[in-house]
Amino acid sequence: MNRRIMKKSALICTLALGLAAPALQAETLLIKGGKVHTLADAGTLESADILVRDGRVESVAPTLNVSADKVIDASGKVVTPGVIAPDTQLGITEIGAAAATNDDAAVEGENTRGVQIGTAYDPLPAYNPHSTLIPFNRAGGVTRALVIPGSQHKIFAGRSFAIKLNGAMDSVVGTDLAQRVYLGEAGAHLAGGSRAVAYGQVRQALGEAREYAANREAIRRGDWRDLSLTVADLEALQPLISGREPMLVAVNRASDILQAIKLAQEFNLRLVVEGAAEGWMVADQLAEAKVPVVIDAMNNLPISFESLGARLDNAALMHKAGVTVIIRGPGWLATHDAFLSRQSAGNAVANGLPYEEGLKSISRNVAQVFGIDGGSIEPGAVADIVVWSGDPLEVTSHAEQVLIDGVPQSLVNRSTRLRDRYLKPEQGHGFGYKH
Amino acid sequence: MQLQFLFAQPGRTAGRCIAALLRAATLVGAAVLIPGCGGEEEGGDDGKSVSFARQDAFPSTYSITQSRPVLIQGATLLTGTGEQLDNTDLLLEEGKVAGIGENLKAPKGALVVDGKGKWVTPGIIDVHSHLGNYPAPAIESSQDGNEMTAPNTAQVWAEHSVWTQDPQFALALAGGVTTLQILPGSANLFGGRSVTLKNVPGRRVQDMKFPGAPYGVKMACGENPKRVYGGKGTLPSTRMGNVAGYRSAWIAASNYKKKWDNYREKGGDQPDRDLQLETLAGVLNGEILVHNHCYRGEEMAVMMDIAEEFDFDISTFHHAVEAYKVADLLAENNVCAAMWADWWGFKHEAFDMTEANIAIVDQAEACAMIHSDDAVGIQHLNQEVAKAMASGQRAGFDIQPRDAVKWMTLNPARALGVDELTGSLEKGKMADVVVWSGNPFSVYSHADQVFIDGELMYDRSDRSRQPHSDFELGILNAEGERL
Repeated sequence: MNRRIMKKSALICTLALGLAAPALQAETLLIKGGKVHTLADAGTLESADILVRDGRVESVAPTLNVSADKVIDASGKVVTPGVIAPDTQLGITEIGAAAATNDDAAVEGENTRGVQIGTAYDPLPAYNPHSTLIPFNRAGGVTRALVIPGSQHKIFAGRSFAIKLNGAMDSVVGTDLAQRVYLGEAGAHLAGGSRAVAYGQVRQALGEAREYAANREAIRRGDWRDLSLTVADLEALQPLISGREPMLVAVNRASDILQAIKLAQEFNLRLVVEGAAEGWMVADQLAEAKVPVVIDAMNNLPISFESLGARLDNAALMHKAGVTVIIRGPGWLATHDAFLSRQSAGNAVANGLPYEEGLKSISRNVAQVFGIDGGSIEPGAVADIVVWSGDPLEVTSHAEQVLIDGVPQSLVNRSTRLRDRYLKPEQGHGFGYKH
Repeated sequence: MQLQFLFAQPGRTAGRCIAALLRAATLVGAAVLIPGCGGEEEGGDDGKSVSFARQDAFPSTYSITQSRPVLIQGATLLTGTGEQLDNTDLLLEEGKVAGIGENLKAPKGALVVDGKGKWVTPGIIDVHSHLGNYPAPAIESSQDGNEMTAPNTAQVWAEHSVWTQDPQFALALAGGVTTLQILPGSANLFGGRSVTLKNVPGRRVQDMKFPGAPYGVKMACGENPKRVYGGKGTLPSTRMGNVAGYRSAWIAASNYKKKWDNYREKGGDQPDRDLQLETLAGVLNGEILVHNHCYRGEEMAVMMDIAEEFDFDISTFHHAVEAYKVADLLAENNVCAAMWADWWGFKHEAFDMTEANIAIVDQAEACAMIHSDDAVGIQHLNQEVAKAMASGQRAGFDIQPRDAVKWMTLNPARALGVDELTGSLEKGKMADVVVWSGNPFSVYSHADQVFIDGELMYDRSDRSRQPHSDFELGILNAEGERL
C-alpha cells in the first residue's frame, strides 16, 4: 500500500467512525466547482476550484487542472471560509444553569478571596475541547471562535483566547486577543452604581498599567508607590497598553460609545466596541476613529434606556459610514448556538447590509480585527472552508462539508444523534439499544 | 386538541362552553356574555351549569373598525390547511376571509394589493409570550410576569400585569404576529392565568383581548419550581415534590368544584369564592386550558397521567425540548407541543435538544408548533419555522412550506382554543393575514402588510400604518418617535 492510499484510507476511517478528525491531513484536497465567496481580492467566483495543500489554500481559480488526494464535488453548492464566532464561551461552559460545568466567569465569594478575578483572570486552563458545544457549532459551519470570559464582579472580565473547532486537545490558536471591559449600565452595576465610576476605574487601571510598563522592575521589587492593581492585573493589561490586543468595550448608548472612543484615544489603545445598539447614531465617529463593532444584528429591542435606539438596520447604517462590522450569535445563544451568527447576518442583509459584507461580518472581519487565521479563501490562507447546501446566510441552508486546516470534519453531534435515535418514537425499550 | 376532542364528547360541559364562547366571539367587538360560561352572576338563571372561568370579569372590548374590503391579487397562498395555492386571489370583507380563488372581483372601494411575487399566510400566532409582562425597557419596576411568592398562584391573571404600551408589541406585529398568548412565568407549579390578545394597540388590556378566547392556566414542571421553592426551604425542592404539589392542588380543586356543583344543583349556603381554586376548577370544568412548561419527556408522561387521574385535558406542553422522545404519547393523548427551533443548554433539562424536534413531533401526528418566549424570537417566527422545517427535511421527512406554516398558525390556534376562528385562510375565518415580500421561510423576506380582522394594522412601506406606543414618543428625539 503506497503512502497516498494509506492516508486516504485513514481519512475514510476517521470519517466513518464519526470522530473529530485528528491532525491528519490529505496532502492535497480539491474542492471542485462550487460558487466560491473568497472574501479576498478575487471576490466571488460563480464556479471555481480550490486546491488545498497541507492545511492551507494553495490556489483558487475557475478551473484547476490538477489531481488531488481527495476531491470534494461542490457543484451547485456555495463555498465560503468557515464562520468565526467573535464572542463565545465555547469550551468553558456546558450547561448554563449547572454551576459545575461553568468556568466562564470567576465568582467572587468566600472561596475566591484574594484570587485574581479582574484583568488577570485567565480562563485558558479551564478550556475543554471535548465540550458538546463544539461539534454542534462545527456542524453549523463555525470553524474558529474567540473565547472571552464574562464578568460578575469586575468591570474587566479577564484574558481571552481563540480556538479552532476540531475538538483536539491542541485546538487553542491564540491567546490574549481581547480584554473585555464593561462600561455603560453593566459597568455601572459592576463598579458601584454609576457609569462614571466605571469609567473612572478603567482610567485608573489603564493609568497604572502605563506606569507599570515604564517602571516594571521597580514596581516588582516593591520599590514604588502603592498601586491599586496587583502585579498580576497590571501584567494582564500590558497587551492592551502596548496595542497588541484591543480593548473590547461593552457599551450601547451613543454617548457611552463616544466616551469609550475618547478613553481609547487618551491611552492610545486599539478599541473594539461590543453591543453598540446605538452605534448607527455615532457611526461617523466610529469610522473616523477606525473602531470596529461586534453586534447582535437581531437585537432591535429598546430593552434598556441605553439601547433605546436599537434597530435592525444598525449593521447597514454603520457599514455605510465605513465602520467594520462583526456580527455575533444572537443574545444569550451566542455560545451554545454561536452558528446563528449566520441568521443574524442574514437579517442584517435583509435590512440593507450588502451581501458580501454580511459574509465578512461573520468570518473575515473577525479574523482581521482580532488577529487570528481564517476568514478568506486565497493562496496561503488557512483552509477552514465550508461547503454549504445553499446561501449560508439563509435559514434553510446547512453545512455539508466543514474543513478545518484542510481536514474534513465530522458533522455528527448530539442533536443529530438524538434525532436519529428518535426518528420514530415508540413504546418499548428499543431506543436504548439504538446507537 | 381540546376542541375536536371536547366537541366529540357532548356530555362534557367543557365542549359546550368553549363552543358557545367561540360562536359568540365571531361577533367582533361584541362583549361576550355566554350563559353557563361565567357570563352570569353566581346562581345564574339556569341554575345548573357552573362556570369558573369568569370570562366577563374583565371583558374584551376589542373592536376593529372596518374601513374597506381588501383584495390581494395573484399571490402565493399558504393556507394553513396544508395547501399552497399559486397565483391566487384572497378577498377580505367585514373582517372575514370572504373568498379565495382566481380572478376575484374587487368590491367597491376595496384596497387592492398586488400580490405578484408575494406570499400570503394566516397571521402568525405565538402561543408563548411575555410581552407586556416583561416589557422593554426591562427595568426593575416593570418585571411583572412571575409571582414568585408561592408554588401555587393560580389566582393571578397575567392580563393584570400587561403594560399595553410595551413597544415590543409593535415589533412583533412587524414580524407578522396577529395573536399572542401572554403567560405568567414558570417559577410556580401553577403560575396563574394566561390571556390571549390580538396584537393591536390598546389603552387598556381589555382593548386587546381576543374576544371569546378561553383562558389558560400556566403550569410548570421541572427545574424552575423546585429551584425557586427548594431554595426557600418549602415544597417543592424535587421533581417528586412538584408532582405532589400538582396533585394536592387538583384534589382541592375537585372538592371546590364539587361544592359549587352541589350548591348549583341543591341550593343551600353559597360556598365562599376562592380565586385560586376557581381557576383550577375552571380547568376541571373544561373552560380553562392547561399550558404546561415542561422540558423532559418523562415529566410530560407523568403530567399526562395526572390529567387522566383528575379528568382534565392538557392543551400544550411548552418549551418541550424533549417532545420528540414522547411524540407518540402526545399524539395518543391529543396534547400539543410548543417548541423552539434550536434553543438549548441553558439548563440541564434543555440539554437533549435536537433541531428535528418539531418535525419529529409533527410526523408522529401530534400537534406541533413553534413558540418564542422571547421578544426577539417573536419577530422572526417564520425564520424559526424555516429552520425547523429544514431540519425535518434533513432528517428525511417530506415537509414543505404548505405543511410547516401550520406550526406558526393553525396549530397554535388550536392550542389556544381559537382554531375555529383564526389560524388558516378559510372562508368565514377572521381575516388575520400577512402579506410577505417573498417566501416567508427565507431570511430575506419581510412582512410587508399585516391585516387583523381585515384591517391593515401594519404596512412596511407606509409609516402612517406603523403603530408606536406612548413610550416611543419623544424618547430619543423630542419631535419624533423612537425610530
